[in-house]
Amino acid sequence: MRNGRKINHAWRIAATGLVFVLFGLGALFISLTVFPLLRLVSWNPETARRRIQRAMQITMWSFMETMRVLGILTYRVEGVERLRIPGRLVVANHPTLIDVVMLVSLMPAVDCIVKRGLWRNPFLRWPVLWAGYLPNTEGEELVDACAATLRRGHSLLVFPEGTRTVPGEPLRMQRGAAHIALAADAEVLPVTIHCDPPTLFKGNPWYRVPERRFHLQVTVGSPVAAASFRREGEATSRAARHLTDWLRGYFDAGRRMTPEGAGASAAGNSALPEPIWMTEPAHPER
Amino acid sequence: MSVTIKSREEILAYLRQILVELFELKPEQVVMEANLYTDLDIDSIDAVDLILKLKELTGRKIQPQTFKNVRTVGDVVDAVEALLANSAA
Repeated sequence: MRNGRKINHAWRIAATGLVFVLFGLGALFISLTVFPLLRLVSWNPETARRRIQRAMQITMWSFMETMRVLGILTYRVEGVERLRIPGRLVVANHPTLIDVVMLVSLMPAVDCIVKRGLWRNPFLRWPVLWAGYLPNTEGEELVDACAATLRRGHSLLVFPEGTRTVPGEPLRMQRGAAHIALAADAEVLPVTIHCDPPTLFKGNPWYRVPERRFHLQVTVGSPVAAASFRREGEATSRAARHLTDWLRGYFDAGRRMTPEGAGASAAGNSALPEPIWMTEPAHPER
Repeated sequence: MSVTIKSREEILAYLRQILVELFELKPEQVVMEANLYTDLDIDSIDAVDLILKLKELTGRKIQPQTFKNVRTVGDVVDAVEALLANSAA
């Protein structure tokens, strides 16, 4: 039994390393073959963008399945159909390095914010451009670009913490996601990701694999209109604070619960206090 | 356009009013030594809103560089005071 555990542990380290190499090589290979091909056969840039985003989903799904088959992880998703409705700002907590892989594997079309350095990379600049991904510029510039894509009816994935969560520390939420949702007058779709046992979190190297195969639980919540966080005549800066506070409470509640509990509560929103402005009529101002 | 030079106390009082209004702060948080970013949790997007409001007060265009080195409430008061002195001249 002890030996079996050790062998399993060693296997998972090797498999994780393999997947990391595979991921790097695979991304490069696809960027040089599949994406240019899709761009070539699509006369219209919008068609190319849709096909490339779909190819991105299939690629990420393949990675998730590879990791599952190799025994690195298991995963379960609740409410996936809500991720497929376009034009929503999808906001998720960010416990692991593979959250974006997990979520993109579930969405046939979604815009992502990626490192702006990629636009200077000779190989990767084209795929990110064709996919319609957004460079991680700052402040107003980023908010405007994100709001514009939402207004065009695309969905956008954002991690409001801006970086991975540090386990055991309070959530550090930035207000950018709230500003984007308010500027676009969009619906916010909160997604809770729970990783048990914790792994691939900030500061944890990939080879320190957990004592057992880890499980990712993804729970898609109910959409909320950003405008419902704005009281009458109120400045956007205040509404962004209300929305961010609500999100912090939402993800904090998800973090305190077991994966099963998080699923049950986020689905019904029962464990969450209803903020007072939610009960007031919405006042979309633009 | 005539602009009366306001005292530092008046500028602080006005600044306190807009910070409370825009960012849901408590009036007593807005003191000269308070750091805008660490103590008052104002981010770069908020800073843009704040500069817009200060434009109304001073009636002058504000160059972003003016606020580049601003860290505390006292720094904002200094910057506004300098702007008002300039516009009066």
